[in-house]
Amino acid sequence: MPQKTILVVEDEESLREAIVDILRLKNFLSFEAKDGEEAVELALSKHPDLILLDLLMPVMDGMTALKKIREDSWGEKVPVVILTNLSATNEQLVEDMVTHKPMHYLIKSDWKLHDVVKKIEEILEMRK
Amino acid sequence: MKSFRITFVRVLVVSAGLILALSAIFAQEVVNAQVDTADAGAIKVAPGELLPISVKLSNFGGGRRVDVLVEYSIFSGAGEKIYSSNETVAVETTNNFIKTIQIPFGVAGGVYMAKTFVIYDGQLVPATTQFSFTIERKILGLFRDDFFLYGGITLLSGILMFALGHALIKRRRGRSTPLDYSDIPRDKRIFYEILSDTIMQMRERVGDDALLIAANIDGLKIDKETGKVHNISENPSKIIATLVSGYEKILGKKVSFSLRRENPNL
Repeated sequence: MPQKTILVVEDEESLREAIVDILRLKNFLSFEAKDGEEAVELALSKHPDLILLDLLMPVMDGMTALKKIREDSWGEKVPVVILTNLSATNEQLVEDMVTHKPMHYLIKSDWKLHDVVKKIEEILEMRK
Repeated sequence: MKSFRITFVRVLVVSAGLILALSAIFAQEVVNAQVDTADAGAIKVAPGELLPISVKLSNFGGGRRVDVLVEYSIFSGAGEKIYSSNETVAVETTNNFIKTIQIPFGVAGGVYMAKTFVIYDGQLVPATTQFSFTIERKILGLFRDDFFLYGGITLLSGILMFALGHALIKRRRGRSTPLDYSDIPRDKRIFYEILSDTIMQMRERVGDDALLIAANIDGLKIDKETGKVHNISENPSKIIATLVSGYEKILGKKVSFSLRRENPNL
């Protein structure tokens, strides 16, 4: 069975590496992007099975990156999990969420990394 | 003619895990025998167990040592003797001791009478001590009546706990099952689903306050029992943002949520 690939988009290096380490332990292959621009480039070139996306990042924010990815014919279907510290109390953010349809909107402080990886496994299991 | 006064005093008898009071005083005097008995009907033993009896013999015959034969018997309610033993006891002034009688294994349950006779110099002293007690079989270390009582209570408690647990699980399942909005137009359905699922998730965390908060948002009409979204009459994104904001205030932290999948390939 081919190894599943995850694109981890996170500007905080220590957190990104921690996520990648756990994903490696779970036998996932990870690609890393430190901002939205890198995320779009890697997503469209590597076509990962799932994107784990932060929102507040330098160069290009996560929602803009998601919008660009969704414009692509491959990208419009790729499952995306948002992992952020940004509260969804902004009307425009909710509008973007509804438009670009990430599967989960997870608050970093509310989730342990192992549980985030479990969510990823559940999504990929459902798509088999 | 010698005679004995036999009286019972209250002493502690430990039997089958019960601490019970039983009395036995023997006294001896020249004329007239007196017998006092304390009915210890609360005593309960199982077949095969030991029935301890505390005995006190007093000799008022001037300090001269005498040997008396003490006979212990157990009689059924019908007057049938089911146990008998005796022993010679020397009494100078007083003699206190605990006598244990093993209840025969095969004896049936019921109320029995323990009787003690004193024989001195070949003559039955006109004094008899006696007390009644109950023999009851044990099941798993408990007297049968207690077993059925505690067993009944345990069984009843178990049934109640099971029924309560079942009801709670059913209620919880009912609350955590996503509500269906297939009757809502496709372009609006996602808002109904996000609102409904967020209310449901928050209800799990903060209880029915989640329903109150949602019910007080302008432009949002929900079922106050189930949390089902009936109508959204204002900007749905604004309502979602307001709802999340309300929950974050009550929870004291930010709120995560999920979107339903439109089809299995997405």
